[in-house]
Parts: sequence; C-alpha cells; structure tokens
Amino acid sequence: MSTKKISISQKSRRLMIRETTTSYLFLLPFLIFFVMFVVYPMFMCVYTSFFDATMGREDIFIGFDNYKTLFNDEVFWVALKNTLIIVIVSVPVTCAFSLWVASAISKMHVAATSAFRCIFYLPVVTGSVAVTMVWKWMYNNYYGIFNYLGNKTGLLEQNINWLGDERYALGCIILILLTTSVGQPIVLYVSALDNVDKSLVEAAEVDGATELQAFWKIKWPQMMPTTLYILVITTINSFQCFALIQLLTLGGPNNSTMTIMYYIYYNAFKLYKYGYGNAMGVILAIIIAILSAVQFKMGQEK
Amino acid sequence: MKKVLALVLALCMVFALCACSVSTSAPKAEEETAAPTEITLWTYPIGGWGTQETVDALMAAFEADTGIKVTVEYLTYADGDDKVNTAIEGNAAPDLIMEGPERLVANWGAKGKMVNIADLFDDTDKKEINPAALAACFADDATAYEYPLVMTAHCMAINKTVFEAADAMQYIDEATHTWKSVEDFEKAIAAVYEHTGAQVGAVYCVGQGGDQGTRALVNNLCGGTFTNPEHTEYTWGSEENIAALKKLYDNPAIAFDSGIAGGDEIALFYNGTLNVAFCWNIAQQLNPNTANTGAAKTASGDDIMFLAFPADGAAKLQGGIWGFGIFDNGDAARIEAAKTFIKYFCDSAKTADAVKAANYFAVRDTAEGADLSTIWADNDIMAEYNVLMPLLGDYYQVTTGWAEARTAWWNMLQAVGASDGSVEAISAAVDQYVNQANGK
Repeated sequence: MSTKKISISQKSRRLMIRETTTSYLFLLPFLIFFVMFVVYPMFMCVYTSFFDATMGREDIFIGFDNYKTLFNDEVFWVALKNTLIIVIVSVPVTCAFSLWVASAISKMHVAATSAFRCIFYLPVVTGSVAVTMVWKWMYNNYYGIFNYLGNKTGLLEQNINWLGDERYALGCIILILLTTSVGQPIVLYVSALDNVDKSLVEAAEVDGATELQAFWKIKWPQMMPTTLYILVITTINSFQCFALIQLLTLGGPNNSTMTIMYYIYYNAFKLYKYGYGNAMGVILAIIIAILSAVQFKMGQEK
Repeated sequence: MKKVLALVLALCMVFALCACSVSTSAPKAEEETAAPTEITLWTYPIGGWGTQETVDALMAAFEADTGIKVTVEYLTYADGDDKVNTAIEGNAAPDLIMEGPERLVANWGAKGKMVNIADLFDDTDKKEINPAALAACFADDATAYEYPLVMTAHCMAINKTVFEAADAMQYIDEATHTWKSVEDFEKAIAAVYEHTGAQVGAVYCVGQGGDQGTRALVNNLCGGTFTNPEHTEYTWGSEENIAALKKLYDNPAIAFDSGIAGGDEIALFYNGTLNVAFCWNIAQQLNPNTANTGAAKTASGDDIMFLAFPADGAAKLQGGIWGFGIFDNGDAARIEAAKTFIKYFCDSAKTADAVKAANYFAVRDTAEGADLSTIWADNDIMAEYNVLMPLLGDYYQVTTGWAEARTAWWNMLQAVGASDGSVEAISAAVDQYVNQANGK
C-alpha cells in the first residue's frame, strides 16, 4: 500500500515538473523580450548612472559624482518642483473631476452615458501631437482664441503670451494635461459605479440615508480599488509628462516648465550626458516607487 | 502527444528568436567582403538634397557614370542628430553624410568618427573654394572632415509694402540690401510701429530653431562677436552684446518671445502678423509661403525684401556651409567609393547639378574647369541675393561645445526677456549662460 502511494506521488511530481517546464517554455519568448527590453535597460540605467558616459568614448567610472552633481544642479530642483506641482495639481483634480462627471453621467440614460463617455474619451484616442498642436494655436500669443476672447470680452487689456510667459506657462501645460487625462478615469469610474451593489444603496435609502451619505458610506468604499488604480496611473503619467513640454515649450521660458522627464531627455539626448541622465532616471524611479507604495498602502488601509 | 507538440512549438519560438538575433549580424559579415559598389548617404534637408525626387535623379546619374550605387536616407533637423549618434554608437554609421562643419568637423570629426579627406583638396581646389568655407572644413592644416559644396548667408527680411506705407524705406539702402545704420534701423522700426500700431518683430527663443538670426542680430547691433577669432571661447558676454540686448529689450516694437522659434516667426511674417523676420535666407525668399503667392511675397501678396542685419559699418552675416563628410567605417573600399562620390559632386562638371539641387550658392566659381559663377544667371532672386555673399562673417559654429552654447544662447534670451530689463539683470543672465557655454 505504501509502495503504491510513493509511486503515485512520484508520478504526480513528474507530471507537475513537466507541466511547469512546458508553461515556462511557453513563457520563454516573452520573458526574453521582457528581460531584453525592460530588465536589462533598467539594470543598465542604474549601472550607467555611476559613469561619465557620453558618445564616442569609453565610459569613465565616477562613483556617485553624477548624484552629487544632480543635487547641486539648480535646474534639477526647478524641474523637480515643477514636476511635483504638476502631480499635486493634476492628480487630485483629475480624480475629483472624473468622479464628478462619472457620477453625473452614470445616472443618465444609457445612450447619453455612452455619448458622454465617448466625448470625454476622445482626447485619449486622438493623437497627442494633434491635440497639443491645437492647444498651441489656442494659446498663440498673436492670434490664439484665448487672447481673442479675452480681448473681445474685455477681460484682457493686451494679449498674453501664455506659453512664453513664465507666470502662465506651467498652468497652461497643466490645463492640457488635465483635459487629456480625464478620459480614462471617467470610463473606469462609470464602470465602477455600475458595479456597485445597488441593493445596498437601496437599503440605505430606505433607512433614510441621504444621497451624499449613500455615496460616501457605500459607493466610495466599493470604488476604492478603481480609485487606487486611477491614482497610481495618473501620478505616474503626471511624473512622466514629456510630450507636451517637448512640443510646446522645451522646458522654458526660463525653465518654468522644465520637468524631470524632459530634463532627463535634454541631458541624455541633447547634451549626450547619458550617465547624468540615467542618474536622474534612477531618482525619478525611486520617487515614483515611493509614492505608488504610499498610495497602495493608503488604499489597502481604507 | 499534445505536450510534446507544445514543447516543440515553444522551442521553435525560442529558436526563431535566436535566429532573429543572429540574422542581423550575418549579412554584416557578407557586407564586409562585398564589392564597394554600394555606399550609403544620409542627408539633412539641405534644399533639394532633402527631396527624394531630386536626389534620385542625381544618384542615378552618379551610378550610371561610376557604377557605385548609393542608398540615401533623409534626416530631419528634429531627430537627425539622434539618429546619427545612435548609428555611430551601434557601428552602423553611413558612409557619407551631408551637413555643415559644425557637425562634421566640430562634432563627429573632433570625436574621431570621420575620415580625414584633406587629400581631396589639391592646390587648385584650395584656390577655388571660398576661404571661409575652406577654413571651416579643416580641423587643422592637414585634417579636413568635410568637402564643401554650397553656402549661403543668413539674413533678415522686411515686409517692403508695409515699410513703404510707413515711409520707412528711406532708412534702407535698397541697392546693397543693407540698413544705413543701427539708428536708421531703429527709426524704421519705430515708423512701422507707429504706422501699424502692432509689434513689428520678435526675438524668438523657445528653442534653438533659427537661432542664427538672433545671434547675428545681437552681434551686429553694437559690434559684438559670438566667439573669439581662434574659436576657443564664447564671447557673447561682452559689453557690446549686452548693450545690443538692452537696445532690443527697450524697443517697444520688438518683443522677446519665449513662445516661438525661428520657424514660427517666419510663419508670423508670412501671414502679416510681424513685419520683420530675423530668421531668413535665400530658401525663404525663393519659396516664402504655402499660399502659392509667388517668390518674395507674403501670404497676402506684400513684397518681401531681404536685408543684411543692422550694423554701423559692414554687417557680418552668419554663413551656412554644407558639404559631404565620410564616416570611418573601417572599410577602405567603401571610403574610396565615398571619396569618388565627393569628387563627382563637389569638383567636377557635375557640380553645377549638385549646387542647383541644393538651391544655394556654390562655394567656388569653377570646378575642374566648369564655370559655376553663372549657374543662377537665369534666376533674378538668386542673382540679386549674391549681393549679401561678400558680407559673410566668421564661421564660428566650429567652436568646441557648440551644442551647449546654442542651448545656452536661447536660454539666455529667455532670461533676458523675463528680466526687468536693467543692465544689471541682462548682464547677470548673459554671464550665467556664457559661463555655461564656456564650461565654467
């Protein structure tokens, strides 16, 4: 009896090993791509950050010098400040606005809900370059619609150089970022609201709960995973704001729209300071990782 | 059985990947031993040399005459440098590249990536080629990384129709296409400002696009320079340049605009928003707009007049020089084929075709006996533009740290534009960025 048990166990283990091996072999091609295009570049980013690496010569090991230079680089701190402003403004506004819109349109007729979902999702599926160029025209100092309307309505005494004036440029960038960021969260929130257990809401209403109480006590906790996901992706997107800067301001005027992501690009691919750019990339990755971890932790606690 | 099949399938996929990875290196070995009848050329958009139709015709003629096939790739200024640098890093640089000495000599040549082609210049060539162009192509007396083909002078332009209406043409010497003096330039701008009630010109500075215009404007206004004559130091922190920046800042008709680059300024000039363009050259004069209103016309049909930058005395114009260089790919046969290409297009009876394709001016009057001085005789605008060529100034773009200096320049203009306009504030901005350019 015991001999038979052992034999079955060995057979089972062999089967398990075979199946596991087969699974890994199926995964292998994708693992190879993952290692080649994600893990290896990540490793090289960290590795190169310890070198004076540029084009046309061997890299020179300099230890933590890139990091030391980084922390003494005024533009880096300006870029970090601008990036944090973008994150601090755009993440809550995106989440709150998306939730508000989703709450409003989820109560509408199905056709109206779909129509609004499409409208708010349009900037997401439209090419970012096209969207940015339209905004560039609207902001234009000489014939942009904002200046035109401002002058016509008497709000402006003279044209404002929206993207060329350091007082307004970052705000203009954030506004564009908001309009292109809300589409996906709205769609996610509408789905999350649809999935809320309606019997609980009805029970609360029968018990005399107000709409706000029902939302806060029943819907909101059930939407927490969605909110957490939206917070994380919006935070990461805001940290990685690049295309807008590249197409509109190149970090100016006077570094007022310089972000960490653009400064990395600028150092690595304009000045060919690969090591320095990678050091910034490492710092950015650490900041994003810490913030994401905090967000997850807070989400789990709630 | 299914598992066996799955295993085979998985292995096939893995081996397919491996095959992909080795397939890139296999042909390379073949290329190394192949006959040098095929070379590659990467070209920036230098007139018609950025247009496939034009280049195809030139390459077909070259192949018919020499048996060497040229594969051409077209670069843009937006990402061309990145492509070339990536190719250099990956040992996949082209055999030939067409651009100016600031890239071929001061950048890739200085980094040891280019072939020394000094042997292509014989004594006759050295006599025939414009001295400024010749000097720019040599890193030292015995080392050349570029063979020049064409050149032009960058200049500025005015809306002549508006200037006439504002009675501002009196301040311009129309025959020589120059301002009579800096004071006259200021009077003319003031007259147009009064006539139109709108901003006349812009010191554009969102990026480096078209920065040759702002550099020439600032340097000429009060007699400043961008570098020292030895091209070892950036000198735009001088008192003359600070005075020029102050003049521009104080001029109510000219704004420092951190929202536009040279290309945007040209667009604003075409559509009549601005009546002066500081980013101009013969290419714009010949083909100024997409409204198809003809050469030397704005979109609304106003006349455009090209002009040297305002200066007391002779203006010093920023030159543009373009030619070919050879990347050192370690293949003597391909280098030899590339040299044949250069001599064919830059120093032979075929040079006229290559120059005309570029839409600029030849760097020499004759090439192997062929007369190049009259190739634009049938084009009034090109012939007229020749009046600016003697004003070509120092080709300082070959100074070390050029990429950093260009970036520092437009950042400095932004800082000046955002300052309170006091001499102290302008000086502080200029000092900060010129030190950055000089690596201090």
